[in-house]
Amino acid sequence: MFNLLAAEKIKLSQSKKLMIVIGIFLLLPIIQVVNTKVNVAYGKELVQVIDTVINGATGILMIDKNGLTILLVISAFISFFIGEEFQNGTIRNALSLGRSRMHYYLSKFATAAIVSLFGVIVLTAIGMISFSIAFGFGGVAEISNYVPYAIKTFSTLYLLILANVSIYVMISFQTKNSGVSLVWSFLYTIATGFLPNIFQQTEHFKHVSNWFTETFLFYYDFASPDGLATYPNMILVSIITILLSSTLGIILFNRTDIK
Amino acid sequence: MSETILKSVNISKIYGKHIALDKVSIEIKRGMIYGLIGKNGAGKSTFMRIIMGLITIDEGNIELFGETDKKALQHARRRMGQSIETPALYPELTARENLQAQAANGGVSEREIDDLLHLMKLEHTRKKKAKNFSLGMRQRLAIASTLITNPEFLILDEPTNGLDPSGIVEMREIIQRLVNERGITVLLSSHLLDELSQIATHYGILHNGKIIKEISKEDLALETRQYVELETTEVQKAVTVLDKLGISDYEVKSKTEIHIYERLDDVASINRSLVLANLDVSRIGTTRQKLEDYFLQLTGGNSYV
Repeated sequence: MFNLLAAEKIKLSQSKKLMIVIGIFLLLPIIQVVNTKVNVAYGKELVQVIDTVINGATGILMIDKNGLTILLVISAFISFFIGEEFQNGTIRNALSLGRSRMHYYLSKFATAAIVSLFGVIVLTAIGMISFSIAFGFGGVAEISNYVPYAIKTFSTLYLLILANVSIYVMISFQTKNSGVSLVWSFLYTIATGFLPNIFQQTEHFKHVSNWFTETFLFYYDFASPDGLATYPNMILVSIITILLSSTLGIILFNRTDIK
Repeated sequence: MSETILKSVNISKIYGKHIALDKVSIEIKRGMIYGLIGKNGAGKSTFMRIIMGLITIDEGNIELFGETDKKALQHARRRMGQSIETPALYPELTARENLQAQAANGGVSEREIDDLLHLMKLEHTRKKKAKNFSLGMRQRLAIASTLITNPEFLILDEPTNGLDPSGIVEMREIIQRLVNERGITVLLSSHLLDELSQIATHYGILHNGKIIKEISKEDLALETRQYVELETTEVQKAVTVLDKLGISDYEVKSKTEIHIYERLDDVASINRSLVLANLDVSRIGTTRQKLEDYFLQLTGGNSYV
């Protein structure tokens, strides 16, 4: 497993895909802070519930503010990162050496998780710094103890992202093609992101929406006491999603013929 | 008796209604260069992928380095290397980085990288990425990549595919050097049968998913050796003449055809003796059956291999 991770490190060291992902996560907060500053200069009043990030302290919610963008960028990265192994035939290099398919799958998942973590740390850190410079550090309303809140919130938000990473990895291993994986990952993100809105209108399917991590990521306020009270639910749903998708992904991958 | 590296017993693979492999049994011993011959779609790549554990089998058993248990087989595969069809490389990485990645995959040291780059004449590529390599360079890098884990058994599927004549010769020399210097056993497939015949020590002919013939280089040389082909309506009379001439290495192939395997340079003299004995000789001349002809004769078709 560690050998496979070492190989992933070498592969990613020269990867343009990784550079693009980190570049997007570096630039995005800077563009957003400039955009917000211009809006404020034109008389717009910042409201935390709507704008999510309004100062340096609320910069910890950068993942929440950019949920859809993060998911789309990471899904594209994973689709290429895994799909190309099938398309270039390089997946054979490790598997034909008798490496366990489960280990191979998990090494890909771990790499995607680390890249995602690094990406969201960059996004959040740059967000906090740039919003602090533009609007001051300030604070989060109704939060008296900031550091524990920040750690808890960032961890929960990352876990919600990680649950999606797990789904994207499963999709990529099943489709075995970057392009097809990209399409299915996009459809999954869009469907689970916007179907809850429809489900919420019905009595029978209302509860279903809470089994998708996107519901929390797109529709919950992470700076309100109600949102904070839902963290255990979010963590539970994320962990179940990771366990189920990884188990299913590994079982299906074990039965897959490698061309 | 030399050690058995690979033994497949009645391996079958079925895709829906299509039988890709039908009870394929072969045995490869240490030091062999086993040439797998077959038309496109005969099942060569499927067989190789099964050996590498990339495809599951529907029936049969594999024995690798004496191991048959599923877990032990996986472990035994660490003693193998492969290059199946297109060279499997990371296009964004240099030759050195490709080898580093494969060394990491195999959990082996990187200290052989320089030697392998030198062996494959890739040491000058430096920062050039694999995507900018020529096909020949990519093939050589793919072989270097398989060698980084010090395999005892190498599986090469069409390693000369797409190479120009000089590239083909170069690849042949590399394979022969690996066998001679490192003692590697090789399972090899190629479309170029005459090319294959220059390095393989044993052959397996795969046709429609079945092994229809296994033959050693020596036996193949006997079966495809040069001979004088004699066509006459009076075979018995011709045999008497041949006996009188002291020719004993001949074979009566049919009522009108005899193959003579000696005195190949003396066709004129044989012909004169036959004519002087009042025999009607309709055709006489030296001929040699090529591996392609032998293959087509066995598979009963004129399709491309």
